[in-house]
Amino acid sequence: MIGGLFIYNHKGEVLISRVYRDDIGRNAVDAFRVNVIHARQQVRSPVTNIARTSFFHVKRSNIWLAAVTKQNVNAAMVFEFLYKMCDVMTAYFGKISEENIKNNFVLIYELLDEILDFGYPQNSETGALKTFITQQGIKSQTKEEQSQITSQVTGQIGWRREGIKYRRNELFLDVLESVNLLMSPQGQVLSAHVSGRVVMKSYLSGMPECKFGMNDKIVIEKQGKGPADETGKSGKQSIAIDDCTFHQCVRLSKFDSERSISFIPPDGEFELMRYRTTKDIILPFRVIPLVREVGRTKLEVKVVIKSNFKPSLLAQKIEVRIPTPLNTSGVQVICMKGKAKYKASENAIVWKIKRMAGMKESQISAEIELLPTNDKKKWARPPISMNFEVPFAPSGLKVRYLKVFEPKLNYSDHDVIKWSSVPCPAMGRFVTKKDEG
Amino acid sequence: MPHWGADDPLAELRRALANPHVQADRLRYRGVLLRVIRRMTQGADVSGLFLEMVKAGATADLVQKKLVYLYMGTCAPLQPDLALLAINTLRKDCCDPNPMVRGLALRSMCSLRMPGIEEYIQQPVLNGLRDKAPCVRRVAVLGCAKMQKFQGDTDVDGALVNELYSLLRDPDPIVVVNCLRALEEILRREGGVVINKPIAHHLLKRMCDLDQWGQSEVLTFLLRYQPRSEEELFNILSLLDGALKSSSPSVVMAATKLFLEMAKDFPQVQTDVLVRAKGPLLTACTSESRELSFTALCHVRQILGSLPGHFSSHYKKFFCSYSEPQYIKCQKMGVLCELVNDDNVQQVLEELKSYCTDVCTELAQKAIFAIGSIGRMYSEQCVRILTELLRLKQEHITSAVVQAFRDLAWLCPQCTEAICQALSSCEETMQDIEGKQALIWLLGAHGERIPNAPYVLEDFVENVKSEMFPAVKMELLTALVRLFLFRPAECQDVLGRLLYYCIEEEKDMVVRDRGLFYYRLLAAGVEEVKQVLCSPKSDPSLGLLEDQAERPVNKWASEFNTLVPIYGKACWAIVTANLMTETNHGGFPCATPMTAGTESLISEGNKEVLQTRPDSGGLTLIPKAHLTAEQFEKTWLSLAVSCQQALPWHGAADPDTIQTALRVVHIQTIAMSKAGTQPWKAYLSAQDDSGCLFLTELLLETETSEMRLSVKQTEERTEALQSFLSVLQTVMGTVLGLKC
Repeated sequence: MIGGLFIYNHKGEVLISRVYRDDIGRNAVDAFRVNVIHARQQVRSPVTNIARTSFFHVKRSNIWLAAVTKQNVNAAMVFEFLYKMCDVMTAYFGKISEENIKNNFVLIYELLDEILDFGYPQNSETGALKTFITQQGIKSQTKEEQSQITSQVTGQIGWRREGIKYRRNELFLDVLESVNLLMSPQGQVLSAHVSGRVVMKSYLSGMPECKFGMNDKIVIEKQGKGPADETGKSGKQSIAIDDCTFHQCVRLSKFDSERSISFIPPDGEFELMRYRTTKDIILPFRVIPLVREVGRTKLEVKVVIKSNFKPSLLAQKIEVRIPTPLNTSGVQVICMKGKAKYKASENAIVWKIKRMAGMKESQISAEIELLPTNDKKKWARPPISMNFEVPFAPSGLKVRYLKVFEPKLNYSDHDVIKWSSVPCPAMGRFVTKKDEG
Repeated sequence: MPHWGADDPLAELRRALANPHVQADRLRYRGVLLRVIRRMTQGADVSGLFLEMVKAGATADLVQKKLVYLYMGTCAPLQPDLALLAINTLRKDCCDPNPMVRGLALRSMCSLRMPGIEEYIQQPVLNGLRDKAPCVRRVAVLGCAKMQKFQGDTDVDGALVNELYSLLRDPDPIVVVNCLRALEEILRREGGVVINKPIAHHLLKRMCDLDQWGQSEVLTFLLRYQPRSEEELFNILSLLDGALKSSSPSVVMAATKLFLEMAKDFPQVQTDVLVRAKGPLLTACTSESRELSFTALCHVRQILGSLPGHFSSHYKKFFCSYSEPQYIKCQKMGVLCELVNDDNVQQVLEELKSYCTDVCTELAQKAIFAIGSIGRMYSEQCVRILTELLRLKQEHITSAVVQAFRDLAWLCPQCTEAICQALSSCEETMQDIEGKQALIWLLGAHGERIPNAPYVLEDFVENVKSEMFPAVKMELLTALVRLFLFRPAECQDVLGRLLYYCIEEEKDMVVRDRGLFYYRLLAAGVEEVKQVLCSPKSDPSLGLLEDQAERPVNKWASEFNTLVPIYGKACWAIVTANLMTETNHGGFPCATPMTAGTESLISEGNKEVLQTRPDSGGLTLIPKAHLTAEQFEKTWLSLAVSCQQALPWHGAADPDTIQTALRVVHIQTIAMSKAGTQPWKAYLSAQDDSGCLFLTELLLETETSEMRLSVKQTEERTEALQSFLSVLQTVMGTVLGLKC
């Protein structure tokens, strides 16, 4: 159980403090500030014990959220709760920032009142909470809404309330993937994995039942090679998913027996599943960095990117971020394509390319002037990172179908699903180790 | 800000709250309330507005109600009298047709922390338990637990407990879980909620309706249940199988723990469970939520302690990536050290090697120590890597490498040769104390194989005057004496200089004593020195074996998914140990500062006797009774001896011990002869709570081995006298016992 919850800004000022149990005194707020936020050294552990009280903290941008307890609790649950708290807050007012927290502090108190009682987590599903939380939608409650509360949470579906109505029923689906790549200085791929998320936005009336299918290897093999031919041209037919987890709404028993993903979606945006693959990852780009130190005050950097997919496809909004040393005084950049700029505030050269077809190559070279320093510490050489959108998923994941049934209202799935958004853009991120030259 | 500034906003807010125009406009009214709450968050005392706020609470506007209740929850303890006014409104709201208002009012009422509240909340809580809206029942169930907290020591209400047990069958899942939580708190003294077979089976059936918090908590409660038969056990395990695959790591961890505990007698099943939990744990370890991944890593290390090969094929998952925070990197290195085997040792060492040059000094050193610890099994490869690192000539790297070498030379004598060869010229890049100590130790212990050892040590001796740390000087002394035994010709002169410096010029007493000690030892002859310094060392393989011993799963299963793996066992022991002593102090309010000072003198067991005895005979000696010597003399002479007794005694009396022991039982020592005087005498005085004085003479006669007690009393009371005598006898007996 959680004894209290505190939210601080980066200076350690208390923005929100809510104590649930008497064993947590007011001085606990200060203990955390003094021992963790104001501590000189790096954070040693997300769990800190001060005077026999455990402080679990997470940080979002420069906001600290700390849960406090004196009991021997289960750490995974406390952290999960803090994440959930962040999710709920984000759903209500967007980014968690000092300003947003200050502006919404009554709402936050209200939320804290609902999702924790006596330190025990209660209902925490954003959709279901909406009926209890008055802030934001400052409209007054009608009779109809009151009756909803009674009917809601009958134990069946905690994440969706009854009687949702939309004039247009819509369902959006996005597959967001991030590629994590570890390369040796010699350019060899040490390990790569894709962690992906299937995010949905549902604006559907009633209690719809949805079914989602993808090219999971096990399913495809089960069905025989039937429908596989049509997908044959873009290389991979099916993918092996290493592990996946689902939103609470997915019926796990059905997934185990038939491997089909069926669910009654919550209202609004939610994350349907998370998955991770490690096999046969299509790396859409290759990044080849070359760094040469010319004397003590000059650095030459050359970065080549090669697109590694079919020429008919187009990658968009490519952004390469090349970190520069802290003592950079000036940068001259030459690039063949796109625009590049040195951003002193971010200590990086940002190179943006609007579009790039497959099997092409582009390069940037930069001369970095350094200020001579007597700082002995070596530059950490952070990795180059890259963001882009490509019309395929690096993991090879494809959405095969998405069906919607609503037994009572009877709207059909073509009106509903925004198929246009299904062959979705994938976001990618490379993390390469720069060569030690 | 002008001086009236602090007071003014409050008055202004009060005016605004009382203004009928504001009250008529809902939005304006709400705006004023918001300002009150904002000031409250900033830490200002707004309890002065309580009356106005209570009035504002009597409204149909739900937002306004919530704001007022939030205010009341914080300010009620400051204004307990006014808070009673609020109770009326709250009780009315508890009967509101809107379930949300009912729930809110009930929750707010239960959270008003003020004395005497329980009599007002009892009825609403009981009504709430039977409310038709689940959200009110949830609040009411936890309200029962809060009520029990208020009542404190009073007996548990049996009817309430029964009602809560029956609510375990409630259709609402959160009510069910809240019932368990409430029962657990209410019945804490009796060992918490009882999970019998029907309840356990009922909970198992409801598992799928619960949310993640509920599931993980119910899984924890199920630990209480002991299945009757093997068949039942396996049925439960197969029912709960789904929980092992849950998307929520906390449920997976709770399920793993339950499985491990339930299958206590089936090691095979336990291993299976850990195999099943491997996937989810690995996912949690690599997840982007750092804190969760830290938690998972701690648990992975715990599992590795029992099953060293468990994660070996997934070693790549534990490679650090650039952006991870330090605490994750440290944990990952720890994991890598433990999962290393013949297949992956090459890759793991390659990876660790790349961390050794990390910009962060601490991480780099950690990586080097990690390689060192892998070296206990794969010494050859590791020594090679560490030797390469020495070439970088970086201060912190060299220091860590030499420390790793020292441990290796001690634990794996077979690699001493290689280490000795690598050591040349690393003294040039060594600044810190640990590194220097390690290097000097190596030069001393294995100096016969390092050709330039005496000359390196000589350099250290030359600079000994500017050396800051006494620990280094001591290490240097030991090393040089050791080396002198093997290479006397090269060392004699240096050793002489060092000893001279340590004895004549050194200001640190510890170093000087060590110098003198070696000087005298050397004076006793070389053979003696050899016997002391080169006698067989403790078996180095012992430590290694202890580290490696596989711990059975059952040893840590009960600690899985608690804070123990996160803090580490030793740390947790310290945290909980402090807790124990604290409660102990609470239990003995009589522990005055005076006795605290003697704690170290009198062993734990004896103290117990001393402290409990004075109360036994209905006699209480007053600690503050103080008699001057003149007063004592006067009273002593005016009284007749009430009682005389002889106690067996041997040897001389130790006045300090006796005095301290007597002070513990509040007997004042007026005068005492010095130790060893013949005959030894002491005069004592004490006073009990009725004002009666006890004056005592102790007379020790060595010839007869007797301690004679003569007690005089200001009031004739035989009962008190007997108790006083028994106290005195106990003390003297204890002191005598201490001497033996």
